Amino acid sequence: MIHKRGGALLACALLCIGVLVTAAASSARTTALPSWCGPKKIKLGFTDGFGGNSWRLVTTASARAEAKKCPSVSSIDYADGQGNTQKAISDIQGMVAKGVDALVVFPDAGKAILPALRSSYKAGVVTVPYRVTPGGRAGVDYNVFIDTPFAQAGKNWGRWIKRVLPKGGNVLMLSGPKGNSQGVDENKGLHKILDPTHKYKFIGEQPFEVTNWDPALTQKVLSAAIAKYPKIDVIVSDFGPSLVGALPEFTKSGRKIPALATSDGNVLGCFWKKNVAKNPTFKLYTVSTQNDHARLAMDWAIALATGGKKPATTHFPSLVFEDSTTGKPNPVECKSKLPGDIYLSAQLPAGVQAKLVKG
Amino acid sequence: MTVATVALFASSMLFASSSVTRGTLLTMLPFASALAIASLGQTLVVMQGGIDLSVAGGLSLYVVILTKYPAGDNSRLWPAIGIAFLAAIGAGLLNGWLVGRMRLNPIVATLGTNALLFGVVLWYTAGIPTTTTARLARVGGGLWLGIPAPVYFAVATAAVVTAVVKLTPVGRRFEGVGANEVAARTAGLGVRRHRASAYVWAQILYCLAAVLHAGIVNQPTAYEGNNYLLPTVAAVVLGGTSLLGGRGNLVATAVAALFLSQLDQFVLALGVSYATRTLVQAAALAVGVALYTINWGGLTRRVVGRRTTNPAPT
Repeated sequence: MIHKRGGALLACALLCIGVLVTAAASSARTTALPSWCGPKKIKLGFTDGFGGNSWRLVTTASARAEAKKCPSVSSIDYADGQGNTQKAISDIQGMVAKGVDALVVFPDAGKAILPALRSSYKAGVVTVPYRVTPGGRAGVDYNVFIDTPFAQAGKNWGRWIKRVLPKGGNVLMLSGPKGNSQGVDENKGLHKILDPTHKYKFIGEQPFEVTNWDPALTQKVLSAAIAKYPKIDVIVSDFGPSLVGALPEFTKSGRKIPALATSDGNVLGCFWKKNVAKNPTFKLYTVSTQNDHARLAMDWAIALATGGKKPATTHFPSLVFEDSTTGKPNPVECKSKLPGDIYLSAQLPAGVQAKLVKG
Repeated sequence: MTVATVALFASSMLFASSSVTRGTLLTMLPFASALAIASLGQTLVVMQGGIDLSVAGGLSLYVVILTKYPAGDNSRLWPAIGIAFLAAIGAGLLNGWLVGRMRLNPIVATLGTNALLFGVVLWYTAGIPTTTTARLARVGGGLWLGIPAPVYFAVATAAVVTAVVKLTPVGRRFEGVGANEVAARTAGLGVRRHRASAYVWAQILYCLAAVLHAGIVNQPTAYEGNNYLLPTVAAVVLGGTSLLGGRGNLVATAVAALFLSQLDQFVLALGVSYATRTLVQAAALAVGVALYTINWGGLTRRVVGRRTTNPAPT
């Protein structure tokens, strides 16, 4: 799911700073046109492989909000593949037939989508897939692929674990379906940071315990791990909100909730606030769940189609969001009046997200 | 079934002692209870020679009604439960009408209803999960006298359903219709009505299972019912109820649900890979089903008989 690049550490740090600066700069001048917005009028298409959860709703709304910043975009068409690869393919073909000038694609089905992307690209539509790698090559099958280095999230977690558990400890990692490339890459990043110290032991199934990102299975897997391992010092998970139902298993077994390195979600922040007093070991560190990845893809598609300035990078970095131990870059956030299924790390304001997910 | 379950717990203690610690049991038992109640519903349908594939869509729908309608507000929980049970009766009547009156094949009819129910789930939630209300979470995750609250619901439900089916005239008629349709019709029993009623009662039981499940899983997805489709059928078969209809072993079904849930925890605790876990589960199911469905006596006789009648050529 990622492009493997060497010399990642320094480049990643530079990228983080670069994106932060760009973000700060673009919010400072809200009235000026973004540099990626060129003069040529275009029709824009946006297709999703699967649009039916709160993360996708917020991501789609973020993409729309980004496109609206550019007045050269005269219309935005959206199609949801509903988890059906065949529909996702015909959605792309439909967009091309409708005559869109630029097309942003979330290719959930991966390589199965490649022929549709290629035919869109060959038809002269600016084609920009993002997040899930469709295979193929930029400039041959599509214009550019906007990826995110998942290993970087693993490295971020690893560095934090080294800081909060300097003496070492037992690390339990949970991810989605068996062998999913996101989990595999995150695990590699984690190993890269923790292995040289020889102080950390990875417990449970390797590279990660399989939860399918399903809350019920997460609960069963975690309770089995709690019973099997008398000492779990830190849990690493790439879907923080799915742990909210499972973490009370520690309390049920008469143990304290350990440190947690994961991705953000309002429900998780609120859970931390409620439980930290009774669980002093429960330290929380989150990376952004990356709803704004879609914005970078939009910027690229619009820049290429309207003749604007290309963004500096095709990689959307893993950004640290909350750290309960330092409060930097943010302390743990909880908006208890708003739904649990919103993501405070996203640029889209919390109130707007709340309206979206409440439907 | 009881013997198999006892054997499983014994081997759990021997090979994976961590799967029978208090903490693990407290996690496993609520899931087992919800599965037991849903499986009792499936048993009623199977006793009428049918099968209910709409358990996935139904359970998913009731779970989202129970979480999204109150949206965290405890005072709206009771109305939500009411709406969920009404929806369950509606879904059951639809199945009953399709199978009982229109004489559709149960697999086709309930598969259709299942798609319809999932359609409603997606229309209502757009696939977005909602966190369970605190009151429901206290029931699903709570302990009464040191035992998970859902266990009481499962035991009570199993007792009531068994008592009604085995001890009351209504229940005996219900079983009679399932065992022999022609005989039942000759005896003047309303075959269609009994058939249809099985689907309604099944959905009501799924709804009760959904109430527990929504409480156990704090943030259920919109597709929770999928976790129940195969396990309910497996529990019915392991419980020894024939898929051709007739007498139902209700208590055995409930015990089978416990067996399946403990099997889950057992293979998790073994610490083997996900692939091995799936294989162990499949093997256990195959053995369990084989015990009931293969005519072992006949098979032995055939094998032995063949040996004696066909001497090896010299």
